[in-house]
Parts: sequence; structure tokens; C-alpha cells
Amino acid sequence: MMRNDPIKHVFIWPAVLVVLAISIFPLIYSLTTSFLSYRLIPPIPPRVVWFGNYVSLLQEPRFWNAIYTTTLIAFIAVGLQYTIGFAVALALNARVPGERLFRVALLLPMLLAPVAVALVARMIFNPTMGPLNQLLGRFGLVNLPFLTNGHWALGCIIAVEVWQWTPFVVLMMLAGLQTLPEDVYEAAELENASAWQQFWGITFPMLLPISAAVVFIRLIESYKIMDTVFVMTGGGPGVDTETLTLFAYQEGFKKFNLGYTSALSFLFLIAITIIGVTYLALLRPHLEKRR
Amino acid sequence: MLRRTFLMLATSLATACAASQVNAACSPDYTGVTLTVASQTGPYIASALKLGADEWTKKTCGKVNVVEFPWSELYPKIVTSLTQSDATFDLVSFAPAWLPDFVPYLSEMPKEMQSGKDWDDIEPAYRERLMVWEGNIYSQSMDGDVHTYTYRMDLFSDPKEKDAFKAKYGYDLAPPKTWKQYLDIAEFFQRPEKGLWGTAEAFRRGGQQFWFFFSHAAAYTNNPNYPGAMFFDPETMDAQINNPGWVKGLEEYIRASKVGPPNALNFSFGEVNAAVAGGQVAESIGWGDTGVIAADPKQSKISGKVGSAMLPGSDEIWNAKTKKWDKFPSVLPGPFMAFGGWQIAVPKAGKNQQAAWDFVKTLTSPEVSGQAAITGGSGVNPYRKSHTANLQLWSKIFTPEEAKEYLGAQSDSINAKNVALDMRLPGYFSYTEVVEIELGKAVAGQTTPQAALDAVAKEWNRLTDEFGRAKQLAAYRAAMGLPPKN
Repeated sequence: MMRNDPIKHVFIWPAVLVVLAISIFPLIYSLTTSFLSYRLIPPIPPRVVWFGNYVSLLQEPRFWNAIYTTTLIAFIAVGLQYTIGFAVALALNARVPGERLFRVALLLPMLLAPVAVALVARMIFNPTMGPLNQLLGRFGLVNLPFLTNGHWALGCIIAVEVWQWTPFVVLMMLAGLQTLPEDVYEAAELENASAWQQFWGITFPMLLPISAAVVFIRLIESYKIMDTVFVMTGGGPGVDTETLTLFAYQEGFKKFNLGYTSALSFLFLIAITIIGVTYLALLRPHLEKRR
Repeated sequence: MLRRTFLMLATSLATACAASQVNAACSPDYTGVTLTVASQTGPYIASALKLGADEWTKKTCGKVNVVEFPWSELYPKIVTSLTQSDATFDLVSFAPAWLPDFVPYLSEMPKEMQSGKDWDDIEPAYRERLMVWEGNIYSQSMDGDVHTYTYRMDLFSDPKEKDAFKAKYGYDLAPPKTWKQYLDIAEFFQRPEKGLWGTAEAFRRGGQQFWFFFSHAAAYTNNPNYPGAMFFDPETMDAQINNPGWVKGLEEYIRASKVGPPNALNFSFGEVNAAVAGGQVAESIGWGDTGVIAADPKQSKISGKVGSAMLPGSDEIWNAKTKKWDKFPSVLPGPFMAFGGWQIAVPKAGKNQQAAWDFVKTLTSPEVSGQAAITGGSGVNPYRKSHTANLQLWSKIFTPEEAKEYLGAQSDSINAKNVALDMRLPGYFSYTEVVEIELGKAVAGQTTPQAALDAVAKEWNRLTDEFGRAKQLAAYRAAMGLPPKN
């Protein structure tokens, strides 16, 4: 009876319009801009180039380098976050003394703003004044080019990402661990299953759905990395640590090349979608087995 | 009735007196006016703006709010505000290189400010060149910027060092005349085991690195026989950055990175100043801040020993027209107006334009700017004749010998016949971004100097075509002080 009440439109349409205004319209506007040659500085009147921006980007080595760098950071950082996070969660779940203190302390990095973390990291890795190189110097070791060599700089960024976001994995995995039924483990112990066998036979498979979600969230978030790289290396040396979002920022807010940047954003969206869909497709058989 | 009239008269008289007193205290009276100025994060420049703000407040009773942005964020913030024609900022402080991008959105300087004693006191390099765009004045210099050479007098005057240097290189240890001598000196003093290194320059992407490279290259590319051809051919707008002069400049810039403190590749100008003031290096190049900071006993371990000179030069300079090296009878010093000094301007969209220009007048007055110039960390370097002429002013921070060398280097560089101007072009960031990227690769040894500069030239030519070659050529000629091309 209520379904045909016209009053529903009064409640639905404002929400629909708000969603359209704040989400769909900018997306459509951005898509339209991606087909234009449009610069704010120096001011050049917009000109339709259709897929010109996309073709230029796909032929641009810097774009592929940014994809490679972002993928490298995301996969290594998330892999380490998951491994370390899961291990720490298992340790905390084993009721170690001072567990509550650890839990709070471990959450602190996650609560900090990435810019602040990156600033602290930049000081720590500072070649001449940073404590890390000074410490190495005390042990008679050479000064390491933490932020001036491409490989080292990537390593430093990954280390900061791992430090900051592992707590998120710990939190999620710990929550998952605490929902596991005790009786399964009791049965396994009666069968004399070792701790290792219990982990691979019970814990890991039962936590697979939550693991899939955690890795997925972190992977998508890691692809959007910008502030840490911006503060720590600015994308350098050269473009060795330039990520996709930083590349988009340079094009959009330094060069005000709006058409090109919009195309870059859409290519980024496509790349993320492909990665997400592939990831879920690969995991689906394993997840369905769990149902 | 008579009493009431008397009372009213007395009240009116008192009000009039009070008003005249207020007006006398606030001249011109900008009570209730608050100006917002966009600046880079302090202390550099922001502290100078605050110094000017305090003076202006005392004089006019107006208020100034200095809004600070990190260097890398300043350009986008200003551009976004200007292109949207919003009145967020009453004044913007910026690099002269950005002026071509900002000009359509700026108000012209009032004519009455373009004459008089204070106007004539501004060094011609700023007044007649860097402050001018297509014949009009949209901005006022609030800082003078030219790269100069800084060295440790104690090391250079040590008889043991002098003898050892002469024995090794066959000539006297003194401020270098050529870049080869500069590198010899750096190599000579490279003694990591004693905590002393040769030189310090900026090599970090986003850390003012490319201006240091330009300073090296200016000596080989700013040819007086073909003026204005340092960055582009002023006839064709073809990029010159991969010519043999630039390649030589880059080769020497890379060599300088190897005779500096460990991980000098991560140095921005701030680290250069810290290295010089910490007595870690024997010599350095950079803006005038280096000398002022190094002379300040509160910030420096080498105060009283800070020597200054013009940048080294060359006796052969690449000619972009004949595509040959021109040989000169003697070494031509190669001063380079790196960055060109901070400027301040008033956006057209600003709601307090009259008050804003009045603030500019106070901020850049010989008295206020003179005080800022001798304040270490203000970021203000001499740009007025009175700044370099007043030795007494500088005696507050320098010894007489230091002051003489510092002011001599500043003045000689700015007024040198062959002083090279920095590049000023619409789309400046697009041009310099590729320089930063390729410099990073070349300095890290990932590519050769020639290959790096070929990549820059290719991108510069592509950008010029994209932005419109004729328009860019006209802008470039204007920036280099050349007449329009028919």
C-alpha cells in the first residue's frame, strides 16, 4: 500500500540529487575533460582531442614507470604488512603478558597522519643529520644513501608504509582470531596436531575471508599512496619513486594540464579496477570452498 | 539652553580633536583593513613580510595576515586563487619566473610608485628588467637574488694550505675565476676524515637544484655576442639546453656533487647553508643568505671568516648562432640571477588594492627592507643601491672585511654587464619539471649529461609547440629584455 505513495519521491529524490551532484557529476565532468586538450597555465582554450590524452599517456615511459613503482610499493608493502600483522595478531591472541598495552601501542602509528609520519621518517633517514646514519657511523659502517638512491628510497618508503599500516592488519586479524571456535582446536589437539598443522589446517583457512578483505583494502589504499612519497622523496631521485597519484598531482596541480590529468585519473581507475577484479577472481574458488 | 549649546560645542570639539589624533597616528588610515598575503613557509620571506607588516600596522593601523604555504605548494595555491578570480589574497609573493603566468590576473603598480627617490634606489637589474613585463610593472621586488660564491677565509689565508695548493695545482689559492679552479679547490679540501668537504650545492629534486646547475651553465652559455640565447634561440625559440655549453655546465655540476659531504645528492639550499655555517665545506655557491647565515655567530661556526666573491666564469662561451665556441681575451665572470628574488604583487580581484600597494611601499622601503636584508633567515638579499652602499648597516653582522667582500660580490654580480637572467616563461613549471627529473638521473649516473639534456631539449621544444611557438618566443624575448621580433 505504501509502495505507491508519492511521498516517497520527496524523500528519495533529494538524496539522489545530492549523490549525483557530489559524485556522479564530477566523474562525468572529469571524463569529458579527459577528451580535451585543456591547460589552465598557460591558458589554452579547450580543444577536443578524443583519445589523444590516453594515447599520449600510454606512450609515455613516465606513466609506465609510475605504474611499476606504485605496484612494487603496493605489493611488497601489503605482503609484509599481512605477514607481520598476522604474526603479531597470533602472538597477541596467545594472551601474552601486557597484551593490552601492546594492542594500544601497536595502534598508535595508524592513528598518525601519513604526512607527519613521512616528515619524521625523512628526518630519520636524513643522510647527514639523521640518527640512522649516525648510528651506523658509530658502528664504523658507511653512510647509506637512504633517500638519494632509487632502490634505497623505495625501500625506505615501503618500510614506512609497513610501519604505519601493519597495525591495521593486526587489528583486523586479531578480531578474526577472537571469533574462531575453541572446540575445533580442542579436537585438533586430541588428534595430536602440531601448532603448525593447526595453523595451516584451521586458523589460516578459517581466516581466509577476513584475510582477503584486509589485503584487498590495503592493496587499494596502497595504490593511492601520495603523501608519504611527496614528503620523503618528492618522487625522486629522477622519477624513481614517483607513484601514479604523485604523477597526477604534478600534472594537475603543478602544470595545470587538466585534460591530461583527467585521462591519467581514468587510466588509474581502470588499472585499480583490473587489479581488484583479478584479485577477487583469483580468490573466489578458495572463498567459495569456505562457504 | 546656553549650557546645552556649550556642552554640544565642547563635545564636537573633543570628537574632532580625537579624530585628528587618530588620523595623525594612522597615516594613511587603514583602520579596520586586514590584508592577506600568500607567502612561502617561514622564516625565509614570511618573516620579512611580518617585519613589514609590523611597520605598516604602526603606520596605518591596518593589519596584515601572512598565510604561509610550503614552497612546493605556493604556486598551485596562488594559481588556483588567481584563475578563479577570488579575493582570497590581497597580495601574493612569488618567484619572478611565475610572473608571466600571473600577469593576466595582476593589477598594475600605481604610477606614483614608479618614480621618486625610493624608486631610483632599486638596482636597475630589478627595476628595469625583472619587475617589467611587456613594458608594464605588475610587481615589486622585495628581495634580490643572484648566486654568488662563498668561501672560508681562514682556510684560504692559511700559509700551509696556500703552499700545498700551489704545489699541487701550480697557481695561487684564491677565490676561483673559472669553474675548473672551483672544482680544483673543492677537490683539494675534500678531507672526509677531518670532517671537511670541498663544496656544497643543492642537488635534490624540488630543493632548488636546477638553479645551481643553471649557475654552472651560465658561464658557458650566456654569450654577450648573442644576447638572450642562454635558454632558447631568441630568433627561433629552439631549445638550447643541450648545446655543448650546457653539457659542459652539467658535467661540472655532476663533478661538484662528488666533492661534497656524504649524500650531498639530498641537499636542498637549506642543507647547503647548514653545511657552510657548520664549517663542513671550504666553499659553496648560492644565494646571499649563505653569507648572512654563515656570519651570524648564533647560527654559525665560521662567523668572522666568511669570504664572498662573484661566481666563476669562463673565457670561452658557446655561441648559439654560429654553433661554435667564442674565445674571449680574458675570463668573463658568469653571474646568474638565479630565481631573481621574491616579488610581491596585488591581484586584480583583491578588495583592498590601494591599501595593498601601500603595504608594498612600506615593505620595500629602504629602511624596512634594509633591516630585513641584514637579518639572517629573513630570505631578503640586497636589491637596492642603499642596501650595498651602507657599510655601517652591515657592520652589525659582518666584520669590515667580510662586509666589503659580501657587498662587493652582490653589487658586482647584479651590475655586471654579462649578468644572466633566469628563465621566465608562461608554463614555467612544465619547463623546469623535466629539467629536475633529467638532472636527478644524470647526477645519479643513470644517464649521460648529453642524453639527459637531449631529453630536456626535446620536451622543451614539444612544450613550446604546444603552448604556441610565436607566443612563447614573444614572451621569452620580453623576459630577456630583447625588443619584439617583427
